[in-house]
Amino acid sequence: MRRGLPLLLVALTLTAMSPDGATGQQPPILSGPLAKLDIKPAQIEARATPKGTLTVAMHFALDPGWLDPLEHSYAVTMQMYDYLVHDAMIKPMPHAWVSYGLAEHAEMAADFRRAAFRLRPGLKFHDGQPLTTADVKWTYENFKGAYAKVFQDKLEHVQVIDDRTIVFHFKEPFIDFMDLYNGGVSGIGWIVPRHYYEKVGRDGFKARPIGAGPYRLVSQQAGAQMVFEAFDGYWRRTPATRTIVVKGIRDPATRMAGLQTGELDLAFGMTGKLLPRLMSDRTLRWDPNFTGPWWLMFPGYSEPGSPFRDKRVRQAVSLAINRPFLVKQETQDISKPWGNWISPENRDALQGQDAPVPEYNVEKAKQLMTQAGFPDGFEVEYLPFPPYFDMGERILTDLRAIGIRGKLQSLEGPAFRAKIGQGRKGVPGHRTIVQNIDPRAGGSKSNIAVYAVCGSPASFVCEPQIEALWTKHQASLDQAERERLVKSIQRIVLDEHYFVPLYLNSFVHGIGPRVLPEGKGVGKYWDTLNAPYPWPWEVWEVKADR
Amino acid sequence: MKRYVLVRALYSVVTLWLLVTIIFGLVRLTGDPVAMKAEAGADPAYVAQLRHSWGLDQPLHRQYLGFVSRLLRGDFGHSFEKSLPVRDIYFERLPNSLKLGFAAFLFSLALGVPFGMLSALKVNSWWDSAGKMVALLGLSMPGFFVGLVLIIIFGIQLGWLPVLGKGPSAVVLGEPSTWITFWFRDWAHLVMPAFALGWYFSGAMLRITRSGMLDVLGSDYIKLVRLKGVPESVVVAKHALKNSLIPVLTFAGLNLLVMVNVAIVIEVIFNWPGVGQLLYDALSNRDFPMVQGVVLMSGLLIVVLNFTIDVLYGYVDPRIRLSR
Amino acid sequence: MATIPIGADRTLAAVRAARRGYRVLRGLPIVPLAILALLAAVAVLAPVLAPHGKLDPVKPTREQCLAKYSTPDCPYVDNAPPFWAAGGRLDTPLGTDSLGRDELSRLMHGARISLIVALTGTLFAGAIGTLLGVLAGYMGRWWDEIIMRITDAWLTLPSLVFAILLSSVREPGLWNVVLILALVFWSRYSRAVRGEVLALRERDFVKLAEINGIGKLTIIWRHLIPNVMNTVMVLFSLQVGVAVIIEASLSFLGFGVPPPEPSWGLMMAQERESLMEGRWWLEVFPGACITMLVLSANMLGDWLRVHLDPQLRNR
Repeated sequence: MRRGLPLLLVALTLTAMSPDGATGQQPPILSGPLAKLDIKPAQIEARATPKGTLTVAMHFALDPGWLDPLEHSYAVTMQMYDYLVHDAMIKPMPHAWVSYGLAEHAEMAADFRRAAFRLRPGLKFHDGQPLTTADVKWTYENFKGAYAKVFQDKLEHVQVIDDRTIVFHFKEPFIDFMDLYNGGVSGIGWIVPRHYYEKVGRDGFKARPIGAGPYRLVSQQAGAQMVFEAFDGYWRRTPATRTIVVKGIRDPATRMAGLQTGELDLAFGMTGKLLPRLMSDRTLRWDPNFTGPWWLMFPGYSEPGSPFRDKRVRQAVSLAINRPFLVKQETQDISKPWGNWISPENRDALQGQDAPVPEYNVEKAKQLMTQAGFPDGFEVEYLPFPPYFDMGERILTDLRAIGIRGKLQSLEGPAFRAKIGQGRKGVPGHRTIVQNIDPRAGGSKSNIAVYAVCGSPASFVCEPQIEALWTKHQASLDQAERERLVKSIQRIVLDEHYFVPLYLNSFVHGIGPRVLPEGKGVGKYWDTLNAPYPWPWEVWEVKADR
Repeated sequence: MKRYVLVRALYSVVTLWLLVTIIFGLVRLTGDPVAMKAEAGADPAYVAQLRHSWGLDQPLHRQYLGFVSRLLRGDFGHSFEKSLPVRDIYFERLPNSLKLGFAAFLFSLALGVPFGMLSALKVNSWWDSAGKMVALLGLSMPGFFVGLVLIIIFGIQLGWLPVLGKGPSAVVLGEPSTWITFWFRDWAHLVMPAFALGWYFSGAMLRITRSGMLDVLGSDYIKLVRLKGVPESVVVAKHALKNSLIPVLTFAGLNLLVMVNVAIVIEVIFNWPGVGQLLYDALSNRDFPMVQGVVLMSGLLIVVLNFTIDVLYGYVDPRIRLSR
Repeated sequence: MATIPIGADRTLAAVRAARRGYRVLRGLPIVPLAILALLAAVAVLAPVLAPHGKLDPVKPTREQCLAKYSTPDCPYVDNAPPFWAAGGRLDTPLGTDSLGRDELSRLMHGARISLIVALTGTLFAGAIGTLLGVLAGYMGRWWDEIIMRITDAWLTLPSLVFAILLSSVREPGLWNVVLILALVFWSRYSRAVRGEVLALRERDFVKLAEINGIGKLTIIWRHLIPNVMNTVMVLFSLQVGVAVIIEASLSFLGFGVPPPEPSWGLMMAQERESLMEGRWWLEVFPGACITMLVLSANMLGDWLRVHLDPQLRNR
């Protein structure tokens, strides 16, 4: 993910130079004027013999449900498995935020009421059956995951022209269709084999899924382990690694031990106390893997009775946090103090000059607290995103300097998500600070839609000023105007200190000695934009088994 | 005798039913699992559909009746978190837990029984105190402390033993050949977790052996054997040991099951894919059906074992079946 | 027939009492009692004895900051080693944790938590369990059947289940852990106590009381409960150790006393990665404290068992 941005810029420049792109030779599907799409052609790579085994440690228990795209919620974790077993019509790849996958050509009518795709010739599922537009249609119609309602509500009908050509007709303009259909955002574009799914059913599919992706599942122990083998018939290239084993290991010390004994080749989530050990072990390598910024929220700040109702108190919180020291303690200076709560990899996010890093000034913070009528501070509940409890304690230590005394609530992941996902219903108190992170794909607008507008169940912010801009954004068909509105909303959230950004998190991954290439070159596996995990998997290369 | 067995069986059934009801109630109190599964920004339609597909939109008594009737048919429902039938996942994990349990049990025997005998033979001697200390230390050190120290020393510093999981061998239902080989492969993976778990139980083992041995050594039967002039070593090895092992073995059966149940911390530390780890995952993810399934299955095993022990005792000792 | 003066009788009695007292004293497990007394003293006096606060980092000196971060001013210095190791300071004799807090002070405050949780948890469990056990044993019939069946079912439930239950219906906190321990352990008492009461019920003094028309409640309160106290005491002392371990395990798994409170188990859980980093003191000191406490409790329990349980006198 590090070099993602420059790459995107390069890609954009290239598109500008050849407006037709590589899809220029494709005969059109739709009649009438077309909207401009920015989808890069897929990169077909050399075929070779897969070799070696890559053992990966996930930082929580494995869910067979991840293998079924039809039931995808928002979790980015599931996409890691999509990229193994399945393939999408269009999806993020290292060279582009949107690249052609199973589809080799796509069109969108200028009025956003029709979308069309043409599949590549000769696509096959793992069982040898051909992948056709019938599967694409069936997947769309049977999709039950996140955004399913939007997709169903907008759809008028699906027109299958032939085995390779399909057109979606919408009841009303569906501007976000290509954004949402992208494999990086929802599960609906990952194509599931109809014949097999109907034969084995939901459970059967999760136990033994079949797809058109680079790897096929050989065996799994629910929650503990999944074993994948390279699929020779994958259209883009032969996967470089023969076997990929994924294990669910929640304890970071155990993952670290596994890396050091050579039982693991790749371990996720190594940020924290063990990071120095990872960095100092000369046989191991690591990738900083920036995901999104950390930020603080104040549930119920707008209600009477909340000390955070006063903007000066929210600002004092921001001023009291020693971001550089926090970054040093938590991430060995890898992460960067940050001035926005939306990842810079998300489109239209304010960054750099537009969103400077807030200063650290305890004296000023104390003054603001006194002015706001809290010279002796007050007590709060502190709710950190699990399992970053150490980080929460560090922030609480900073806040004690201005009299804000906190008690940490250490919740498990699902319990935390449940609280946050229900907004005020989940976090009813007036004196709670929530420490959150959300590396969500789909542009800055998706972060705003979830966290900063009245309509979202997960939002703690409901400001008329923002609402007006948001309504305008939702109605607009003009990309430039939409971008401007999204940026204005971010401006308000930051200036009013509704959210207090902390730093751009590095979700460090540890890499063992078997992974090729030797040395720093392994960083290339993290080039895909908005990807907290290093997909696509078919490019991963390891030393051959002895 | 028939009546005694019947009453015992009835007790077991009632116990199981109570367990089912208690666990159903407890688990329902822990909050809304749908909220845990749906992430920030999930649309209400998706949440409602999840709730419906999990049957959580029905009134509580309907949920309970459905739950019990499905249980009777052997259907424990679907795991919320792992998406597959609870029964399949549980039985996939059970062999791993049993393997760890057996190994830890053997270890606790190997440490507990000889020390227990020595303590009993030389009451209040140096051996007695040393044995007591080993047992007490095992009971007094938290399992994760022992586990972590083992990992550091033998896994990382010395690099002698693997630290992750159970190794590649697994019981595959469709392949009977794996049913046997599973138990004899990958013992290197087993050493540390079995030690960490077994040490805790060796203390109990030692105490039981010691008191059983003292009982037997003080009995008229042994006195008689001694009077006959049989050498002390033979008295101990042949007569005393055999008799004092009976309580050890009865205790052992229950201990083995308890071990399967309490191994959670050890399984988490060593990433051992057993039932304990399964329960831990399920609990922290509020995976109702999985929690219910695991607790009920272990409860069932314990109740059945207790019943068997009761009946066996009833056969052996007529006083018991009359007294109750 | 010579009369012995009353005063002499008294002296004799006093001498006898002193001798008896000495015998008991000599038999007492001195070491565990001393350790427990010490821990209790530390727990009570922690706010006075502790050199630093339990939540705030120790203010570092200029030299420390320069040495660690090459700047003259820093919020805190984390992971300082114990005083005898290179870089250690007498000011923080057992080192500091990863948030720069004094390990010794946190251990002292931690003694409070461990003792409060273990003692009150076991006490509640003992009270509930004893009461139910006496009821089941003495009232018999339906009382017995219902209580004992629930006990049987309860015994098969893993303690973590309660932990999760409580942490989701209540704010996490110290008293949650106490409740968990009470909920988990009562069933161990009720079974043992019931057996004891079944025997007591047939004894003459209970029969006599019944014949004299004394109410059931009075019999339970006056005759049964005092007589099962020996068993309860033995169980209690043995369970305290288990309670400390369970508290530590719950914290290790993230279901115990919430941070930043310094419970020993939580301290170990939070710093378990430090052990791999070679910062053994953050793991070994709380570990040793737990082991010491549990070991003493168990030794005392053994001693009590031998002295209070007539069947076990000679073991």
